[in-house]
Amino acid sequence: MGLWKASILATLVALTSGLPASAQDTITIGSSLGLTGYGSLTDGHWRDGLELAIEAVNAKGGVLGKKLRLVYEDNKSTPQQAVVVYRKMMSEDKVVAFDSGCISAGNFAAASFVTKAKLPMFLCSILPRLPEEQKWAFSFLPPPKFEVDARYEYLKNKTNIRKIGILGDPSPYGMLMRNIALEDAKSFGLEIVANESYQQDDSDFSVQIGRINAAGAGAIIMIGQGNAVITVANNLRQLGLNKLLLLGSINEREILIEAGKVLGEQYLFPAPMIQVAIDDVNMIADPKARAAAEAFLTPLKAKFGGKMDSAQASRAWDSLLMLAKAIEAAKTTEGTAVRDAFEKLGPYVGAGATYEFSETQHIGITKNPYLIAHVTKDGKLAIKYDGRQ
Amino acid sequence: MPSSVELIQSLVNGVGIGLVYGLIAIGFCVIYNASGIVNFAQGVFVMLGGMFAYSFLVQIKLPLAVAAAISIALVAAIGVLVQILVIRPMWQRKAPMFAIILATLAVQLLIEQIIILTFGDQPRTYPEFTGGGPLKIGDIAIDYQLFWILSCGALMVGLLTLFFNKTRIGRALRACSQNREAAALLGIPVGGMLMLSFALSAALGAVAGILITPTQYTSYSVGGPFGVNGFIAAIIGGFGSAPAALAGGILLGVVQSAAIVLFGAGYKNVIALTVLLIVLLFFPRGLFGGLAKRA
Repeated sequence: MGLWKASILATLVALTSGLPASAQDTITIGSSLGLTGYGSLTDGHWRDGLELAIEAVNAKGGVLGKKLRLVYEDNKSTPQQAVVVYRKMMSEDKVVAFDSGCISAGNFAAASFVTKAKLPMFLCSILPRLPEEQKWAFSFLPPPKFEVDARYEYLKNKTNIRKIGILGDPSPYGMLMRNIALEDAKSFGLEIVANESYQQDDSDFSVQIGRINAAGAGAIIMIGQGNAVITVANNLRQLGLNKLLLLGSINEREILIEAGKVLGEQYLFPAPMIQVAIDDVNMIADPKARAAAEAFLTPLKAKFGGKMDSAQASRAWDSLLMLAKAIEAAKTTEGTAVRDAFEKLGPYVGAGATYEFSETQHIGITKNPYLIAHVTKDGKLAIKYDGRQ
Repeated sequence: MPSSVELIQSLVNGVGIGLVYGLIAIGFCVIYNASGIVNFAQGVFVMLGGMFAYSFLVQIKLPLAVAAAISIALVAAIGVLVQILVIRPMWQRKAPMFAIILATLAVQLLIEQIIILTFGDQPRTYPEFTGGGPLKIGDIAIDYQLFWILSCGALMVGLLTLFFNKTRIGRALRACSQNREAAALLGIPVGGMLMLSFALSAALGAVAGILITPTQYTSYSVGGPFGVNGFIAAIIGGFGSAPAALAGGILLGVVQSAAIVLFGAGYKNVIALTVLLIVLLFFPRGLFGGLAKRA
């Protein structure tokens, strides 16, 4: 009997010492992602960027002598499921930090108990609302104002168009952006002559476009991501309105290209440099930024090919490399120490943008990262206006 | 108050999208009349039509007519497969109708997932069949694609009317819709007719998808909204004849378009559903079914 007990004990010890090569020699980072539902496109890219960064960090020996491990769960783009997956990753996977996707409502719903557990959150989304929660969260999302201002600046500096129409979706993010667009127009010398809405699954926007045109607008400021911009482009062509400029929202590369094929240079959009430079990294003038972009684009292209969208993935890559740097600086994975070290990283030139986090600044992108781009005849993205021309 | 140009333009746009709803509605009617099944996978046939046409036209660069013919044939074959693999076994086991209808919903989700895995989740579009538009009449713009949709819609309705009235198979299908047991006693292969109805219905969905994609886009997710609107159009039309379903679609398209002009985009579906409720209240068998009955 004693021998049996000893054998069982020995087997258990052997098994436990084998398993936790993962638990003991790795640092686990959690990620709540909307891999299904409305956030699937953006959050899928966020995951790809995180995985690339983890591979890159581990190839160089990891952090504090340990390998990084990514655990991600599908929150189905809903806050209810996000709460479930956040709790699961905290209790079962023992994550030391979260690097989560763009589903703001999901990140908001989990922020209270993640904060109580003193785990830092690095987010693709905007920051949670409560100040106590914001102390533990860091946003890698460019503020919505930048997306509006990039378009307004182009109109002001490069065109004679002064009357514009807004065509926006009624999502919370879309409404936030619409309010910014309404407030900011005057400071750029622009007059909003029409303010129209649409639903994401609408199959025709001719009526709204016709009203914007009838109001005398020279450009449509479209607010809202997703496939709808292709229908808007097709409707503009069908109505024969070839002088009405379409300034769309930021979008997936493939969506931009499909809409660009329809309208050519009549369709312009804000894009971060990394999204345009995927075909030619030499477009990036700053050597430090070019080196950061190259370090990201090389493994990205090797793994996914040249057609991959780089906008979201690059910021995910940056967020994880910065987190690794903070853990290295803190010399521990303890939440408070990592958070404090992250705040002290200083300006960081990443692949997707330049970030300036500090104790009081938890929205990292403080300078407008967008330029105005268009789609060339051979289906590539090109710079139309970068603010310096 | 909207201008007359806005109202006429919205009428033109409404007719265009309404014709597509109408084609989808006819697809609903063909299966429903042959079997009593409401096929909620009808929308994915629209999506598949656009997807296949894009592949053959843009990627393989086949001529339009060839690309369209192959796409329609492929989607019709998928319709037959759905009938053989899902509907027929349930039908033979005498599954309740609601279970079969639920199964068609599952088929829609399944096909959408297969499309994501094989074609990806990115949207696709291709140029209109006739370039150089639109036709301008004063300030009203009529896109050339509308003429394609209009003529193909009319052709489909004409062919279906001939098929149902002048051919033995068509008449057999109608017999099944009136009384399946009696049709079987008369030696009509009811199972075969059901398979034919799925093929026809899928082909109609594919035609709608091929026609509408140049005016917007196709992607794995477009089937749902098209299916819902086609279903509403079929109810308004009365689930009876092809012309009634087409008229139901046009009415729905025009009402939606006018609702945007008069009340804004947010009210489009509210107004459309209100119209549906009013129709059901006064014409429980659908607008045209009700009218026919009164007449």
